Parts: sequence; structure tokens; C-alpha cells
Amino acid sequence: MRSVESDPIGERIEAVRQADSAQTLLAATAVLATSDHGNSISGEAIACLVEVLGFNCPGAAVVAVNGLIRLGPMAVEPILESLDPRNYGARAWAVRALAGIGDIHGLDLLEEALGSDIGPSVRRAAARGLGQLRLDALEDSQRQAVQGRCLQALVAACADGEWVVRYAVAVGLEGIGLADVNSDHLRPASRLALLGLSQPDAEAVPVVRLRAALALRRLDGLPSA
Amino acid sequence: MATSNSLSGIVRAMAGTIDPDAGISAAGEPITEAEALQRLRQSEDHSQQYYAAWWLGRNRSRHPEALPLLLAALHQRRPRDPGAGVEENAIARNAARALGKLGDAGAIPELLAALDDGDDGLREAAARSLGELQATEAVAVLLRRLASGPAGAGAPRLASPRLQEPCEAMLEALGAIGIAEPGVITLIEAFTAHDRPLIRSAACRALLQLSGEARWADPLVQLLDHPQLQVRRAALMDLGAVGWRPALEPICHTLAENSLKLIALRGLVEQGAHHDATIQAGAVLSAMDSLL
Repeated sequence: MRSVESDPIGERIEAVRQADSAQTLLAATAVLATSDHGNSISGEAIACLVEVLGFNCPGAAVVAVNGLIRLGPMAVEPILESLDPRNYGARAWAVRALAGIGDIHGLDLLEEALGSDIGPSVRRAAARGLGQLRLDALEDSQRQAVQGRCLQALVAACADGEWVVRYAVAVGLEGIGLADVNSDHLRPASRLALLGLSQPDAEAVPVVRLRAALALRRLDGLPSA
Repeated sequence: MATSNSLSGIVRAMAGTIDPDAGISAAGEPITEAEALQRLRQSEDHSQQYYAAWWLGRNRSRHPEALPLLLAALHQRRPRDPGAGVEENAIARNAARALGKLGDAGAIPELLAALDDGDDGLREAAARSLGELQATEAVAVLLRRLASGPAGAGAPRLASPRLQEPCEAMLEALGAIGIAEPGVITLIEAFTAHDRPLIRSAACRALLQLSGEARWADPLVQLLDHPQLQVRRAALMDLGAVGWRPALEPICHTLAENSLKLIALRGLVEQGAHHDATIQAGAVLSAMDSLL
């Protein structure tokens, strides 16, 4: 790490922009994404990681997403500003980063993405994100209002046409149900939606039913195996 | 997606029969089963017939008219229309694909006949559908079409990326049908040495399905490291189709889209119990969660 840390961030950004193959892009993105930025992270470095999401290079995008998640809330605005209505591959990665960061400022976008984005990969990332927002800093009433919105969006998406989105909805509902410590309605409502996803007469895809059943066991505090 | 939140969409999805997305045409208008049947029945607008054939398959229509209308469509012949962006025999090919999804064995005799059609795109669609229908009757014809091996059936065509026969689809069909007789195994084995990695992948997939022998999984796992994305994708789909759970880690680490990894892992969960695997479904679910 020591030798890497002696490189200025600018050079690492340049290395990403100059990369001429999937391999060199992956390597350069990894160096930039794992840099110990300290307090000096530049907007340009964040912008560069966000740019990589649109390069149609899955390996580099994974690394960039992880880097953005590590940066946390400060990456949220640049991600929101970068969303490209024409590139749903890039949007899926961006929503994935927002989901991982779990910042409340991503809520509107996650809701909208789950309800109406044309890309199943975007909707599935949004469903997962709605189940894992970090709401500890909010007051109880505010937190429950946000969780109620997440729950509503997830319940509606139980009817999504793509199995992978419904799978992600089961994961999201589990997150909402587990996060709900005090409320008397969020967990029952999550359970009800998960029950629907776990029944063969309501859900045709076995892996979705299995995941919903696992979520129900976890909500009931049973061993998950 | 426009209907995802509508009540009718929810009710239909809850009934587990029809995907809410599936009723949306290219123009974004939902159509009903009756409308789809009507579009296939008329013969003036070919693009409507093309869409209707796809719709009936996608929604796995059980209407009594769906089968006869699709069988009639299987006989439509029409050259490629480059202006309209439509493939050769587009309606017949879509009908062949849909017939595999209806799950009605009544389609088998005509799909078998289509395996000997002059249009290799139609042969390809018919082979895949016969595989989906697990039509044991198709094994003899598939063996005959592939009998000349990699140098014959598997030889490249002049000025075309295609091979003499749609080998990939035919090999996959043999694996899906599941007749593990020595003659079938020997023929498929010959294709594991084909020049093209996609053909090798299809052959290994079929052999793994038919024999359950781990030696056929190794080449598939190695293809997950292939420099071409297209090959890595095919290996992902093949390992998923077999449900080969020992490939869990390599699948998670290959450089490909999460969407495809998720499809492959779904296969490991749903098909994987057929193999003597020490990896439990729970481990696969946890890997899937982290790919969302």
C-alpha cells in the first residue's frame, strides 16, 4: 500500500481515463477506488468513479460501486446528478451504489426506480436498496414514515413481471421487517407480502418462494437453514 | 412496467399465471389473449402475427386455439425483409419458439418435421423447443443431423458466422431431453473438441446433464475465465442450466453482468438438488443477495 499511496489522486484518475482495455480499466479503477483519500477526496475522483459505471465493463463497475459505497454519503449527490436516462446498465450500477450507501437522499430515486424503471437490473437494485436505508439518525416518527414509504413501494413491486425483481423485493421486505424494532405495523405488513411471495399459487418461480420463506423464518427469529 | 402498480397487474401476478409485463406490446399497449389469437389468425399484417406468436409463448397460453394457430404459423415461409428488420421466416421461427413454451406434446410431430427444414434458423428454434418439451422422439433426428460430427455438421459456412447445423441448440436439446444412451454420449463427446468455445460449452453442458460426471464441469468452469465476454456468458448459462453447485464460487467471481450470474445461480438453487452437492441452497441464496 505504501508505494500506491505515494501516487497523487490526479495520476490515478488519469490512469482510469487512459485505460485501453477491460483489464487495465479494472486495475486502474481498483487503485482509485481503494485509495485512502483521507479528507482530501476530490470531486473529480468521485466523478471519475461515477463515470466508470457507464463504461459497460462489469468488472470495473463492481470495483467502482464498492469504492463509491466506501465513500458513503458524499458520493450521493454526484451519483444522482450523473443518472443517464439512456443507459440502463449505468443506471443499474448507480442505483446499486445508492442502495449500498443507504443514504436517505436516495429514497426518491429508489422509489421511482423500483416503480417505473424499464431495466429489471435497475428495479432489482432499487428493491434491495429500499430495504437497507440507514435511518438511525432520524427521529422515530420520521423513520417510520420513511420505512412506510419503502414498504409501500416494495409491496407494490411484488407484482413485478421479472422474477429477479420479486426476489430482490423479498430481500428488501426482510430488511424492512428486521429493521422495524418498535413499530406495530411494518413487520406484519412485510410478513403478509412475503407470505404471498412464498406460496406456489401466488408465485410461480421456486427461487423467489425459497427466498421469501427464508425471509419469513428470519423475521420469526427461526434458524435460517 | 407501466402496469406494475395497477390492480389488475397485481391480481394477475398473484394468480401466478401471467406476468404483468407480458401484456405490453412494443408500442406499450397491453393486449389480451383474445387479441393475440386474433392477431395470429389474420394474415394481412405479418408484424402483428409475429408479435402474437411471441405473446402466446411468453404467456404460456392454454387457450385451445393457441396450439392449432401456432402450428399453422409454423408453416409460413417468408424471406427476410431487411427494411422491416425482420428475420427470415420470422413468424414460423417465433411459432416454433412459442410451441416449446406451451408445454403441449401435440406440437412434437410438427416440430420434428421442422428439424429437417431447409432454414437452419427454424431448425434451431425447433431443436430448442423439442428440448424444452423433453421430446424423446427427437433424439433420433438430432443424432442424424449431428452424425457427421464437428467436421461436418459443425463446419463453418462460407461467408457466414453460422455452422452447417445449429449445433449449439441441438446439443443443448439432447442434454435437456435426457436420454443418456452410449450412442448419444459418444456423439456429443466429439463436439467437446470443436474449435468454437460456445460449441464446446454446449457439449459439456449436455454431457454433464446426461452423466452427472464432474469431468464435464471442469471445462465449463475454465470457460468462465475465457477472454471473450460472450463465452463467459455462455458458460454461466450452461452451468446454471445444469445446476452445478460446485461452480458457485467461480460463477460469483467471473467477469460478467450480475444479471447473468443471478440467472445462473437461480439454476444452481432450482436444478442443483439433482446432483450430490455439498453446497446448500442457502449458500447460493446468500451469494444471490450480494449480487442484487
